[in-house]
Amino acid sequence: MTTVTDQPTTTLKKGFVGQSIPRKEDRRLVQGKGTFFDDVRRHGMGYVHFVRSPYGHARIVSIDVSKALELEGVYGTITGDEVAIHTDPFFEMSVEPGGLIKDYALAVGRARHMGEPVAAVCAATRELARDAAELIEVEYDPLPVLVDAEEALKNEVVLHDDAGSNVVWSGVFDWGDVDTALAEADHVVKIDRLHFHRFSSTPLECAGALVEYDKGTGEWTLTCNHQMPGVGAIWMAPALRVGIDKLRFVTHDIGGGFGNKICLHPQYVVLCLMARKLGRPVQWTEWRTDQHTANAHGNERTFLDVEVGVRSDGEMTGFKVRALDDCGAFPRYEPLGCIIWAQVTPGMYSWRNIRVDFTQVCTNKSPVSPNRGYSRMQHLWLTERIVDIVASELGLDPVEVRKRNYVKTEQMPYETPNGCVYDSGDYAAALDIALDLIDHGSVEERRKEAAARGKLLGFGIGSTLDSGTNNFGQSTLLNPELQFSGNNEAASVKLDIFGEVVVTLGTVPQGQGHETTAAQVVADILGCSPDQVNVRRGHDTWFNSHAGFSGTYASQFAFTGLGAVKGAAELVREDMVQLAAAVLQAPVEAIELADGFARIKDGPPEAALPFMALGAIVNANNAFLPPEFNPTLNHRYVCRPYFGMVDTEKKTGQLTLTYATQIHAAIVEVDPETGEVDVVDYAAVDDCGVRINPQIVEGQVHGATAHAIGAALSEEFVYDEEGTLLTANFYDYHVPHAMDMPPLKTGAMESPSPVAPLGAKGMGEGGGGGIHCICAAIQDALRAAGGAIVYDSCNPPHRVWSMLQDVEKTRANVRVEAK
Amino acid sequence: MAEPVRSCVVALEINGEQVELEVPARRLLVHFIRDDLGLTGTHIGCDTGNCGACTIHLDGEPVKSCMALAVQADGGTITTVEGLSADGELTPLQQAFNAHHALQCGYCTPGMLMSASALLARNPRPTEDEVRYALQGNICRCTGYVNIVEAVVAAGGGA
Amino acid sequence: MLLPEVEYARPATVDEAVSLLATHDGARPLAGGQTIVNVMKARAGAPDVLVDLADLHELRSIGFSSDGRLEIGAMVTYAQLMASSEVDVARPILAEVAATIGDVQVRNRGTVGGNVCVSDPTNHLPPLFAALDATFTIRGQSGERTVSSEEFFVGVYMTAVAEGELLTKVNVPASSGAGDGFAGLTIGKHGTYIVNAAASVSGGAARIAIGCVGATPVRATEMEERLAGGDFSEDSARAAAAGLGASLDPPSDVHGSADFRRHLAEVSAVRAVIQAAGRRKR
Repeated sequence: MTTVTDQPTTTLKKGFVGQSIPRKEDRRLVQGKGTFFDDVRRHGMGYVHFVRSPYGHARIVSIDVSKALELEGVYGTITGDEVAIHTDPFFEMSVEPGGLIKDYALAVGRARHMGEPVAAVCAATRELARDAAELIEVEYDPLPVLVDAEEALKNEVVLHDDAGSNVVWSGVFDWGDVDTALAEADHVVKIDRLHFHRFSSTPLECAGALVEYDKGTGEWTLTCNHQMPGVGAIWMAPALRVGIDKLRFVTHDIGGGFGNKICLHPQYVVLCLMARKLGRPVQWTEWRTDQHTANAHGNERTFLDVEVGVRSDGEMTGFKVRALDDCGAFPRYEPLGCIIWAQVTPGMYSWRNIRVDFTQVCTNKSPVSPNRGYSRMQHLWLTERIVDIVASELGLDPVEVRKRNYVKTEQMPYETPNGCVYDSGDYAAALDIALDLIDHGSVEERRKEAAARGKLLGFGIGSTLDSGTNNFGQSTLLNPELQFSGNNEAASVKLDIFGEVVVTLGTVPQGQGHETTAAQVVADILGCSPDQVNVRRGHDTWFNSHAGFSGTYASQFAFTGLGAVKGAAELVREDMVQLAAAVLQAPVEAIELADGFARIKDGPPEAALPFMALGAIVNANNAFLPPEFNPTLNHRYVCRPYFGMVDTEKKTGQLTLTYATQIHAAIVEVDPETGEVDVVDYAAVDDCGVRINPQIVEGQVHGATAHAIGAALSEEFVYDEEGTLLTANFYDYHVPHAMDMPPLKTGAMESPSPVAPLGAKGMGEGGGGGIHCICAAIQDALRAAGGAIVYDSCNPPHRVWSMLQDVEKTRANVRVEAK
Repeated sequence: MAEPVRSCVVALEINGEQVELEVPARRLLVHFIRDDLGLTGTHIGCDTGNCGACTIHLDGEPVKSCMALAVQADGGTITTVEGLSADGELTPLQQAFNAHHALQCGYCTPGMLMSASALLARNPRPTEDEVRYALQGNICRCTGYVNIVEAVVAAGGGA
Repeated sequence: MLLPEVEYARPATVDEAVSLLATHDGARPLAGGQTIVNVMKARAGAPDVLVDLADLHELRSIGFSSDGRLEIGAMVTYAQLMASSEVDVARPILAEVAATIGDVQVRNRGTVGGNVCVSDPTNHLPPLFAALDATFTIRGQSGERTVSSEEFFVGVYMTAVAEGELLTKVNVPASSGAGDGFAGLTIGKHGTYIVNAAASVSGGAARIAIGCVGATPVRATEMEERLAGGDFSEDSARAAAAGLGASLDPPSDVHGSADFRRHLAEVSAVRAVIQAAGRRKR
């Protein structure tokens, strides 16, 4: 049993926090004056193009770069052999055999997925680099291709000889007593197979970097869009055999990340080597096709042999499942996905008996990275599918089943079977808001009306949790040897000589509006307006305002990022108050900061110092201060959330700290002749505790919903048996455009987090609520046409049509055993 | 221009300024704008002309600049996002984007503004459906389009 | 994403264009660029010379021939089709379908000529023109000739326009009371078609062409025969479509199996016929 320590929370007087102030970032972005890494130029720079494997799996017999080097304007090349000499493989997080995998910056000896970089060439222009790439001759010897996770388990085709097995990680999580729960249940619902498909958030700006090498100091500067530079450096520095301070990451504006810009270290290492080798800055911009084939898919997970215990009164007592995760050709950030789902083990529900037998394998597909909703989304989809299938098979109302089984608000903070603590929330109330927004009472009438037009109407709910503020100690539940635990984020706040407030963040925003929300928090603490707070754009290692895990990921900015900002601002505030007290010769308690001044509360108007006066004293006019009083007005603060330690034997612990709720509801119309699904009504309710900027929160809900709708209805990375990715561009990998979006109604409630510094939970990833509710709605729609069971998270027309054609096939997947 | 050439001089007007430069025939208009002219507000988001991040006005019409060669624009008039507003004075449309939180990462925003401004020029008070139709060629992965559509409708006075 | 080296010419007249196409090996016309630029970016094709048709204003007109047929210049854009009062009067289905091709930016540049000369099985205009019984005028160095839709669409990416030739216009009969319909399933709203069908119904006859199921548009001749009686009710259309799918040999891909496409062909044909029948002017 883990004890929960409450974080001290300060009640901020509600000023700018809580208001939807327009964003500070917008001014430059709407004028096209943002700086994205590809906008940056350096004198003498070269452009890099990667030569990539056209095969899903092949031995690299030889690489001949000589013709490319002869082309005028080509500066140089690099191949896997050189990489293997100049670098060490990236460190692997898994235990053996997965931990023995050797992952280099370029393919060494073998290409393991279509699109894997095999060589790189640098030239004076983009076009020349592309032309030169065509002249690089690579001889491949194709090998058998593995594109099925269950096949991978057989180890007939093994991707990594060093590991000798395709299994990256495997383990059983067992909490409570599921065997007894199933034996004692009135019904056992069995689901043979559910499949969560492969897709990703495909940020509009592709990955890339401009890398410069300083030959005097041996330092690299990477002007790039890596969204988690702390971790990027941890991978890259040992591989390059340098100290971590030799890598300076600089980001400016980033065009979306969503977790797809976390595992960029292989390409970045190639750029570092080339910058050093060629003695000039080198730049690489990923092409869209490359992003789809070779950078960051989301985890693909198959759920097998699900068994659910249900009592006659509709209470679900537990479930067991075999989960098979396909991480593609290289684990990289994996196997963390093998535990991160455990942040939400029971989903929204209060069952106590859960067993998950989890295995992760490599296949000849693009490697995965923590795509929006990382690992929790897949698991929550499972729990929502379970609830809907239980409801439909036992003739229960999906709303009632949820309300009966939801963790109740009176139970908060609620400890889950594996020791996580749901901090706050009222799921039933949020569901009611969603039902109201979508006019749930009118569903049956709308169903009849649609039927008259030949359409099948369905209603579905998707309840989901957006867990945030990651405890890296959860990695030790996978590999006890790992030296990771806790989390941290840093920020700095200073008051300049002219009284300007300057904030630097360790986080790396890609559209979340950190400049604005940080300014709101600082403005309230220092008593000025957000316009007077300059939050520097982006991340820079040399700001020294970052910590080991710095970045924007895991829905945690509102906790750790703003927690760090709050801490730093409070330290500066303390300095300001004490300094003002000294100068105004008043007790500290009599000083207030307001309207850009430090002044005596209710004192005479002249007893007020503008910020500029304070800044000037400390920076330039400080002789009169007593020796023991040394205010700096410049503070760096590390927010270190407290988790306690995890129990590696029982695999329990506080894996994350905050849990935002999202309840989604959808009404769809299915055209039974074509399988086309039209979303005709949609509601999303969010509860992320205190909302620093409600409009920004709502924007995140909109975006997460769009990603989920795209995933649910069309976005899928599909491979053929040769390991060729069939959906490598936006024609075939269809993402929602403006006309594809349904009318979207949003609602919000605030259940403040008792553990977060501002009562604000992390949010943004969303948890895939849209996928869950659309699957539910489709299944509901198909009840009138035979009752097919939705088994896949992606339901484009061809799949829906197949389900209608062979209802029995989908129903054979599900059995109910009654006592 | 009788015989085929590998490169030629392109003369055009961009954001009110005359420009004349020799370019290879194969250079895409978007690379000409970004790399040769240094106007980096126009962005590239895909390889197949789907995403619209590269949208500019060519002779008054919104066009995807990644789907045109620079040489095709010879003699033409181009407006990019940098040409929408004069030195820091945001247009009502740009202000509406800010007020309605119609951008998050900002990468699709220049293209969105070009498509939206073209719409407003020929249809000053568009409905929500008309806005969606006009923006169908601009992909956004951050906002779900909700606030973008709201902002354009508002800029048209139809809020 | 980056093009290989290529040469470029911008002729002032159609004759000059034809001459350039005939004289230079690997020369291809450049119309709106909405397909060929993509093809070159993907390095799926690499013409040696691009002959830019932008200055050929005579190819941009829409009008009526002396015998009342609607004449559409090959360089007419989708946007122009949508704005044309001639199209609106004579054959509004052309504007209606053009309005769903891609998006505003594509429609400002993409051309009728480009759409048909690419002869991509998933394109909108080939089955539509086939159903409308359009004719295609081709100019070469030896003169001009006009061919039917059946003769024009030869195969995937292949038409009757030979090297050194240029499509100059497409002629469509004026509708004189005919009703036209177009139906199908796309990948997302206004996306690429998975299967489509075009139908033109007049008096007692129907012309039905299915797209995306063969190398070129496929006329549903048996269905047309069964509908020759003039009964275009839904029941009659469904009965007439029976067996259409089985007669086809469509491809299988990530968006649908061959069987799914066979089924969609029947559904789309029925929907196109019903739509067309409902629009006849009596």
